[in-house]
Amino acid sequence: MTLRLWPRSLAARTALILVFGLAIVQGLGLAIHTFDRLDVQRLAQAREIAGRIANVYRPLAQSDPAHRDALLAQMHHEPDMVIQLSAAPPDDDLPDMPAPEQRLLRITMNLAPVGAPQLRWRDMVLHGGRDWRQAVIGIHFRDTGWLNIRLALQPLRPWHAPTFLAAFCLMTLAAAALTWWAVRRLLAPVQILAQAAEALGRDVNAPPLPVNGPAEIATAAIAFNTMAERIRRFVQDRTELLTAIGHDLRTPITRLKLRAEFVDDDEQRAKILSDLAELEAMVAATLAFGRDVRTTEPVVPMDLAELLRTVLDDAGDARPDLQEKLAYEGPAHLTIRARSLSLKRAFANLVANAVNYAGSAVVRLIPAQAGFVVVQIDDDGPGIAPTELDRVFEPFHRGEPSRNRETGGVGLGLPIARNILRAHGGDITLANRPDGGARATVTIPL
Amino acid sequence: MLQSMEQTPHILVIDDDRDIRELMARFLEKQRIRVTAARDAKDARKAWANGHYHLVVLDLMLPGESGLELARWLRTQSAVPIVMLTAMGEETDRIIGLELGADDYVPKPFNPRELLARIRAILRRTGDHNEQRLEPSARGYRFDNWTLEPARRRLLNPEGVEVALTGGEFDLLQALVERANRVLTRDMLLDLLRGRQAGPFDRAIDVAVSRLRRKLEDDGRHAQLIKTVRGGGYVLAATVERA
Repeated sequence: MTLRLWPRSLAARTALILVFGLAIVQGLGLAIHTFDRLDVQRLAQAREIAGRIANVYRPLAQSDPAHRDALLAQMHHEPDMVIQLSAAPPDDDLPDMPAPEQRLLRITMNLAPVGAPQLRWRDMVLHGGRDWRQAVIGIHFRDTGWLNIRLALQPLRPWHAPTFLAAFCLMTLAAAALTWWAVRRLLAPVQILAQAAEALGRDVNAPPLPVNGPAEIATAAIAFNTMAERIRRFVQDRTELLTAIGHDLRTPITRLKLRAEFVDDDEQRAKILSDLAELEAMVAATLAFGRDVRTTEPVVPMDLAELLRTVLDDAGDARPDLQEKLAYEGPAHLTIRARSLSLKRAFANLVANAVNYAGSAVVRLIPAQAGFVVVQIDDDGPGIAPTELDRVFEPFHRGEPSRNRETGGVGLGLPIARNILRAHGGDITLANRPDGGARATVTIPL
Repeated sequence: MLQSMEQTPHILVIDDDRDIRELMARFLEKQRIRVTAARDAKDARKAWANGHYHLVVLDLMLPGESGLELARWLRTQSAVPIVMLTAMGEETDRIIGLELGADDYVPKPFNPRELLARIRAILRRTGDHNEQRLEPSARGYRFDNWTLEPARRRLLNPEGVEVALTGGEFDLLQALVERANRVLTRDMLLDLLRGRQAGPFDRAIDVAVSRLRRKLEDDGRHAQLIKTVRGGGYVLAATVERA
């Protein structure tokens, strides 16, 4: 695996580019500043040296050569300077001073108030320099003899204050942090947009995005809201159509049920009534699917454990032959806040599925896991084909290819259950258990 | 079935669909029930003024003045039993209707035989002089800190938490609560609940009672709330308040 230097997030990438650019600008600025300071310090040092030498040279040059030794002995000078009067130019192992340094020193020497005739090029010998931390300067008196001075050179310090570098680093870090914060803030709406798209996928009635922030983001939010509105209208039209058909079918079904009572053939009448019951069940399921439980039922405190047991009791009453294969595992009571009628319908659908497809159902209530209540509905049937797992939640999809209504139902049981649970902020997933059979896992937030 | 009635019962059927009106009239008349049909609220008021009825079957979805308004008006006129035909899945209609004082409801599309069973059960109850006419408009009953709300078909425990009941359990509890401290034999319970239950219910009564005791936290062996009466019957031993 290669090391990821290039981050994935847009905010991190933008911040990285900005911080990288900032670092280059800061580096260049620091270099320019340093060179400038070095120049200034070099000049200041040269002036200081020139001044100090002039202070020694001027009285000596103006005095009689014979009295120079005595004069020098009386002179007060700093200990970092070694001054000698000699007949010869300085003799040391230091090489000649580099040309630029020499030129600077010579010019400053001539600018200094020497008070004597101008020093000519050949009257001065310069050895050493900054690289050797010391310099040896020999000046030839106009009359006779040499003044040889050896002095220590302080290294140049471009960053005069010790806090300078710390302050500089602090400034750079602050700028980087500010950049990171600003980029995060600017790009936050992108994250919100992604979350809104995710929420819309789960629930068409998710609240619209706030239209604010930079112009581009606001435009994107408006476009997103328009798209969400169109999807919402499309879904609404579809469910309204289904509901309208369901409503309109009630009157003819009622008429047919009444008419069936005038059929004298008992067997035929029973068949007609059973067909009508099936038709009615389909209409009922369609109406339940089209209803938005959020607007039709209030949230109340209810005992979920008792509800699950009641659903199982109902299933057992409908199929007394399977009573032994229906079981509840979990606490005797668990109070949650929910829409009890809707939730009962959702669990009844899930238990009915298990009973119809597998002939068994074990309902397990697992209280409070990270703010969620989990309910598992297990059966010991043949399980669900992997290709079917994704499709079972599609409306009017039935697990059995035969579409046998005896066991297949209308194909709305799972979509209705999922709509109800999502309206509660929960969800359902279906999976096959490793030891056989299917498991529906329901999560409900507390 | 109706030998105890001195006369043929007379029912007012209000539904906006002509075919349903005619078919219902034919069906009920075959069962020796006299039917007058009305197509809307205006028609119904006229029919009400011209006759005496033992029961009203009222479709809540009427054109013009709604069935609920008509039910409210009927309640100002008399205590005649009302059976509502509610739109399937419209919980609010049913709740408002029952709270307005309807005696029973049948979701549409209904099974005619079920409607007939409900009509007969109500007629028997109102025709029986030993049976005190129950105030139909109780919104809720309180007993031993529990609350039973017939219109919303729900039971609340002393903490106000909703406790789920199956349809059969609910009807059984309602029958016991409405006749608290009176012994109800298994036959009486069967008779009271026949209109509601689709399948055979006699054996199931004992099962439902044991589940009810569990849900009401009434220890089965030393049941204090729903007591078993020797010889086959049950009694709800509690003071019931109407809310």
